[in-house]
Amino acid sequence: MFRLPIDAESFPLGKGPMVMLVLFLVSTLFIFGRSEEAGENLEFWIFANTHYEEYQARVPIFEAQNPGINVQLINFGNTMHDKLLAAMLSNFGAPDLVEVEITSIGRFLKGAIDEVGFVDLRPRLESEGWMEKLVVSRFTPWSYRGKIFGIPHDLHPVVLLYRDDLFKAAGVEMTEVETWDDFIAAGKKATRDLDGDGEIDQYAIVLDRRTESDYFSLLLQQGGGFFDEEGNVIIDSELAIETLAFFTSLFNEHEIATPVYGTWHGDPSNFAAMQDGKILSILSPDWYVGILKSQVPQMSGKWKAIPMPAWHPGGRRTTTRGGTMIGMTTQCTNPDKAWELLKFTYFDRPGLVNRYETTRIIPPLKSAWDAPIFKEPDTYLGGQPLGDLFIELAPDLPPRYQNPYWSEGADLLNDAIFAAVTEKQTPREALTELAEKVRALIAKDQGRWGEL
Amino acid sequence: MNYNLMRTKPTTYRFWNQQQKIAPYLFIAPFYILFVVFMGYPLVSSLVMSLYEMRGFQSRIFVGVGNFIDLFKDPIFWKSLRNTAYFAAGTLTLQLPIALLLAILLNSKFVRGKNILRLAFFAPVLVAGVFVAIIFNLVYDQRAGLVNQEFILFGKEIGWLNEENYVMPAVILTGVWQWAGFNMIYFLAGLQGIRQELYEAAAVDGANWWQAFLHVTLPSLRPVIAFVFVVSMIGSLQLFDLPYILTNGGEPADAGSTIVMYLYKNGFQFMRLGYAATIGWVLFFIIAVISIVQLKLLGIFRDE
Repeated sequence: MFRLPIDAESFPLGKGPMVMLVLFLVSTLFIFGRSEEAGENLEFWIFANTHYEEYQARVPIFEAQNPGINVQLINFGNTMHDKLLAAMLSNFGAPDLVEVEITSIGRFLKGAIDEVGFVDLRPRLESEGWMEKLVVSRFTPWSYRGKIFGIPHDLHPVVLLYRDDLFKAAGVEMTEVETWDDFIAAGKKATRDLDGDGEIDQYAIVLDRRTESDYFSLLLQQGGGFFDEEGNVIIDSELAIETLAFFTSLFNEHEIATPVYGTWHGDPSNFAAMQDGKILSILSPDWYVGILKSQVPQMSGKWKAIPMPAWHPGGRRTTTRGGTMIGMTTQCTNPDKAWELLKFTYFDRPGLVNRYETTRIIPPLKSAWDAPIFKEPDTYLGGQPLGDLFIELAPDLPPRYQNPYWSEGADLLNDAIFAAVTEKQTPREALTELAEKVRALIAKDQGRWGEL
Repeated sequence: MNYNLMRTKPTTYRFWNQQQKIAPYLFIAPFYILFVVFMGYPLVSSLVMSLYEMRGFQSRIFVGVGNFIDLFKDPIFWKSLRNTAYFAAGTLTLQLPIALLLAILLNSKFVRGKNILRLAFFAPVLVAGVFVAIIFNLVYDQRAGLVNQEFILFGKEIGWLNEENYVMPAVILTGVWQWAGFNMIYFLAGLQGIRQELYEAAAVDGANWWQAFLHVTLPSLRPVIAFVFVVSMIGSLQLFDLPYILTNGGEPADAGSTIVMYLYKNGFQFMRLGYAATIGWVLFFIIAVISIVQLKLLGIFRDE
């Protein structure tokens, strides 16, 4: 009779380890033994779960329309950008298509413009007439030195979400608020100590003083920025200093703002404070409404939205925060098919409508805006048609110029904002020092390798 | 019979002779191949990299010791170093004594339910650092957090993660919660290895509990203490995930920034790989010097 050369009893470590070894070998064979699907592969990396779920549902349609093409969607979550960086550094292993987040793209633009790991999509966009069909200001975060390295996934206009019930209880009609001065007046009435213990129980607005998110949104609304179109540092401009002075005054002088509960606006403790009625308003991009809906569904019907208060009567009533692009890497092996997949995921009207349904994200493709869903009343906002409001504001979105030094700049900007709000430095001191640091950093690099 | 066979076939005989020489090298080869590929090469290449700075993705510029000079002038590096040292000091003065105390309690005859307690104290280490950070984010919440609910009783609401001075204490306390039970297991193993006769002899000599602890327990635990000290110190100096998530990348004002976090930011967020490699080497030297000094002071190099 055939006998195995070894049996459970004589296996050196006993029965248990032998079973484990056998299971390990079998599962290894199972995993590595699977044959690759025939045909051509397109690899597409994603970092956001909601995007991944959307594409998972839509990719089979693309594959059916393009026989012989297999799309491999890989969701790496938050580690994706680091993996992409490693793949581009080693010039090996990058996907054909990839989505990149707005605060991460800067580092991919360092060095000579010809060595950037993304394909310039401007020729394709222009030859097919896509530029006119999309919101042009949204190309600025993904463009550098005249080249377009990514297509915007979104617009991310910002509105002011507010608790209508609690503002009304304080005798304030928020729909009458048009400027930030109006908001301060309204905020002073609504910021109150309800139980008379000397502590304020409800604040008119919650703002993040640890990071650049809210301050930078306000600065963009003013038409300012960290870098201008030519890449000059403009964070110490009078406009930037005035905006920071205004931002700090909401905390210190007017005392109508509370720092974000927890570490950012999406922190569970911030949601808890909202439910407890401690926060009456928040500057909210479209995606944040999607987060609120999924994280605090019990607040449905309590929020309403108005355009952001303007700096001056008749001024811009919105700004932009956050964003994602899709780019084609220079390692892409089949650019034509990848371009087709890109268009299918970013320019296909049914897909964009479906995206709004789940994430509240307004697409940059203007022709999609007349879909009925954007006009539908939103129950989460007490029946207000939110999509319509975002679309009304979309043409007025400010540009946000991209720069390879954004990551370093943003990191230092966080410190400057915190120093100004906690009154360790004046807004002028904080921003002047910041601008000098970033200019010195750029000058040092240019001194080492010359103008790029 | 086989022997005869071998004699009649000289080629086979030579093979057996040769393989006896080669076999030992083949047996140890896997370790050396893995070491060279995953440790040796990256080490040498990172040392070389620390003398260069990346210029985008494809090219680099030789800067010599420029990165080291920049690093010593970089205020965020010094702040990160101070924070890391603060954490290490907190770990050694708070976490390890607590771990030793827990081990002594669990080793005593008077405590009941030892198995359950051992599991309970050890359990936090099984939780991934990311989850620990998320949970403690809620625990330290300024208004509604568990910790402040207690402290408010004393009339002070502490912004654990929002005020610069409280950020590192918050990280240290979280470290205690997560790692004290783990180190307790080492101490417990050490305590159980101490021969009972030593205590009996001490008792015969008239030693009380404290004297027995000082003169029997502590000296007998010396190798374990040295090991836990050195490992904890190295772990502390490599601190990254806990403050990275707890403080959302070191904010506010870099109060939660550590050396490894600053290394990560430079390497991956700022694309300054040369500078990041420099931070890595400086960290390596700090760890090496501290470990050698610790081992020397604890007498590990002495012949017993």
